[in-house]
Amino acid sequence: MQTMMQQMINGLSLGSIYALLALGYTMVYGIIKLINFAHGDIYMLGAFWGYYAINYLHFGFVGALLSAMVMASLSGVLIEYLAYRPLRNSPRIAALITAIGVSFFLENGMSFLFGANARNFPQVITTKTYYFFGVGISNVQLLILFTSLVLMVLLQFIIKQTTMGKAMRAVAVDPQAAQLVGINPDHVISFTFALGSALAGAAGVMIGLYYNSIDPLMGMVPGIKAFVAAVVGGIGSVPGAAVGGFLIGLLETGVQAIGLSAYKDAAVYLVLILMLVVLPAGLFGKRQREKV
Amino acid sequence: MLKNLRSKLSWLAIMVGGFILINVGVLTGVINTFIENALVTVGINIILAVGLNLIIGFSGQFSLGHAGFMAIGAYATAIVTQNMATPLGFYLAMALGVVIAIVAALIVGVPTLRLRGDYLAIATMGAAEIIRVVINNLKITNGPAGMFNIPPLASWPTVYILMCVTTVVIVNFIHSRAGRAVMAIRDDDIAAESIGINPTKWKLAAFVLGAATAAIGGSLHASYLQTIAPSDFGIMNSISLLIIVVLGGVGSMTGTFVAAIVLGIIDTALQNFGTLRMVIYALALILLMVFKPSGLLGRYELSFGRKRRARKEAASS
Amino acid sequence: MTKQLVIDHVSKVFGGLKAVADVSLTINQGALIALIGPNGAGKTTLFNMLTGESGPTTGKITLSTASGDVDISKKKAYQVAKLGVARTFQNIRLFGAMSVKENVLVARTHLYHEDFLGTVLRLPQFYQREHDVGAAADELLDFFDLTAVADEPTASLPYGTQRRVEIVRAVATKPQLLFLDEPAAGMNPEETADLSRLIARVREHFGITVVLIEHDMSLVMNLAEYIYVLDHGAMIAKGTPQVIQRDPQVIRAYLGGDSDA
Repeated sequence: MQTMMQQMINGLSLGSIYALLALGYTMVYGIIKLINFAHGDIYMLGAFWGYYAINYLHFGFVGALLSAMVMASLSGVLIEYLAYRPLRNSPRIAALITAIGVSFFLENGMSFLFGANARNFPQVITTKTYYFFGVGISNVQLLILFTSLVLMVLLQFIIKQTTMGKAMRAVAVDPQAAQLVGINPDHVISFTFALGSALAGAAGVMIGLYYNSIDPLMGMVPGIKAFVAAVVGGIGSVPGAAVGGFLIGLLETGVQAIGLSAYKDAAVYLVLILMLVVLPAGLFGKRQREKV
Repeated sequence: MLKNLRSKLSWLAIMVGGFILINVGVLTGVINTFIENALVTVGINIILAVGLNLIIGFSGQFSLGHAGFMAIGAYATAIVTQNMATPLGFYLAMALGVVIAIVAALIVGVPTLRLRGDYLAIATMGAAEIIRVVINNLKITNGPAGMFNIPPLASWPTVYILMCVTTVVIVNFIHSRAGRAVMAIRDDDIAAESIGINPTKWKLAAFVLGAATAAIGGSLHASYLQTIAPSDFGIMNSISLLIIVVLGGVGSMTGTFVAAIVLGIIDTALQNFGTLRMVIYALALILLMVFKPSGLLGRYELSFGRKRRARKEAASS
Repeated sequence: MTKQLVIDHVSKVFGGLKAVADVSLTINQGALIALIGPNGAGKTTLFNMLTGESGPTTGKITLSTASGDVDISKKKAYQVAKLGVARTFQNIRLFGAMSVKENVLVARTHLYHEDFLGTVLRLPQFYQREHDVGAAADELLDFFDLTAVADEPTASLPYGTQRRVEIVRAVATKPQLLFLDEPAAGMNPEETADLSRLIARVREHFGITVVLIEHDMSLVMNLAEYIYVLDHGAMIAKGTPQVIQRDPQVIRAYLGGDSDA
């Protein structure tokens, strides 16, 4: 029971990182139907910015987190403007290849500029572990869970309550109709990238603190898993992405806990395939059938 | 009939001509070991990408799991030939790899091929990763360290000939009853069903044939390079094959050849640039897609005898 | 007259909405009938059920084939097509990247077999098969006056020609029964008259039973022997063109009256 609780806590911490990333995937996919392969690399950029902000600008955790969110936002918007916007009306496979190209570019560009080796993330917060009934939870874990939840609530508020959020939902449903009622899709798409990337940037800083190690390729695998989380939750659905992220995190730590850690990635993909076959629209998605 | 003969002879002349050209290059020393390596890599990439183009370009199924089937061929060859280091062993191993890849493709394809577009891509990617994780944890495959000292039973002529054979098989498959059925499903699956075509059956046929050629490519890869590891068959490897297909033009086999050769040249030319190589490669990829999203050749095919025509790119959605 | 298709108390429900409500009708072999009704009356939904595109919620559809009667209400579209039922679509669905001739050739897929080895190795039997199926396709293209555009990709053809290609593709499956969903939509009067003659010729030459959905009343009245009228998913009238033209219920359905269609 204690180990199970412990795994739950570890799983939720990891899961909240996946959830933050998955939100970016799901929003971008919902609006321009693109698997933004470079999203995991934005998370890497966020982690690297946090590293420099803390080490050289002597920022505290909150300063590093917020500035990383801003920097990640800017990178996301810039990438969309330079690489994806020209391809908006091209075959989707071309846009996907471009996204892969951007991902390669960021990974190798960072390796080229700063070296490919892993480095220690500065520990701005001294890790303390609290025990409740034998179950340990560290202050970093609490911080990750708390920050993620705040960000998710904030995101939900922006999407549901603000004009821009409503415009986002309108463009996701029907870009042409949205344009007819005076919404500029370019602005909305930029805003979507800004939001999604900010969450990824925050996730990057937090994972740096949690795992204490960052490198230019750190975004690859979590990126793919977060996309899986978005699909499991139902692509395009914001609550789905959050729930999917937590589920994937729990699944991973759960498989590890029963001694099959070598198979934890396989378990994630197996769940993905089963999910797609049984419930193709995901947990929260809507299924549409083509009309004849 | 005469037209067919002329076309056949033209293709045969090209294949024999290419062989002689490389042979002369090797004999005169123009093609050194380094270039030979690059050529063989291009040849293996062509085998893999032609099969992937059949799946993506002609049957319209977006698969991102090609490296998984390649891994099956590679490991079957490594395991069998280490116990039977003869040419016969090599071809038996290749056949075994093909059979296992076909079975795996059926297991993966039956449930997933009804998914569309990106969903299928993610599902096939997941399936390939599962294959890789299993290989990573088995004893017979020597786990994450991989296998080395695989007997060198595939020389460049083997690769060249098999490249020609697999291409001829796939191109002939496309220009037949089966190929037409497969393309009809790609263009409009509802209309295809309305004329009596079972979509699942034909999609599966193309997927299985593509997987079988991937196993052949993997088999040659293992035997030529003599070392393999699970990390050689990851998502990035599936993606680099996808890049060849998209760069050449989805649905153009000629384009696949051109793209595999062009990328081979770029790769060789940038060999000494270290990390910068990948940066340039990535930039080139982005620029190419932004300025020529339909790939280098679109859907153009080189042909003899038939009236030449570039197909209209109608079904690009 | 022998029965070709018996539709027995068929209904289709989407969510809570009854798109087709308890429709029964019998189509005789060799008939040329029309299905009319205002937009949203359930005509295409009925077609989709009869061709296996989406099965009925309740009811039974029985098709007479050479090997006896078959219940097709649970069968998939490709199985129904193989039993001899062909169709065209309201919004044309061609294989856009393939040529006109390839569109016809591919419709023959279920009519012959090919062996994998013979095909990929290009053995003589491959050429024999391709020659046979090609000759049959050429004959059909000639009948439909499409020989001149045989090698054109269908996506590049004008609208009226695309409609004709869709019909020849359906006929190429060697059907017993042909469903045409608004074949004259978007055509000018001259093209409609040509189409009308073509449908009559197809029926006569190939001995196919034809059922069409159409809004163009000149085509319907001039071509159909018998007309069924659907409104709000229910059959409200049936009869010869002369009878239907004078039916007060049909006139009300079309002109509005108390309905909101």
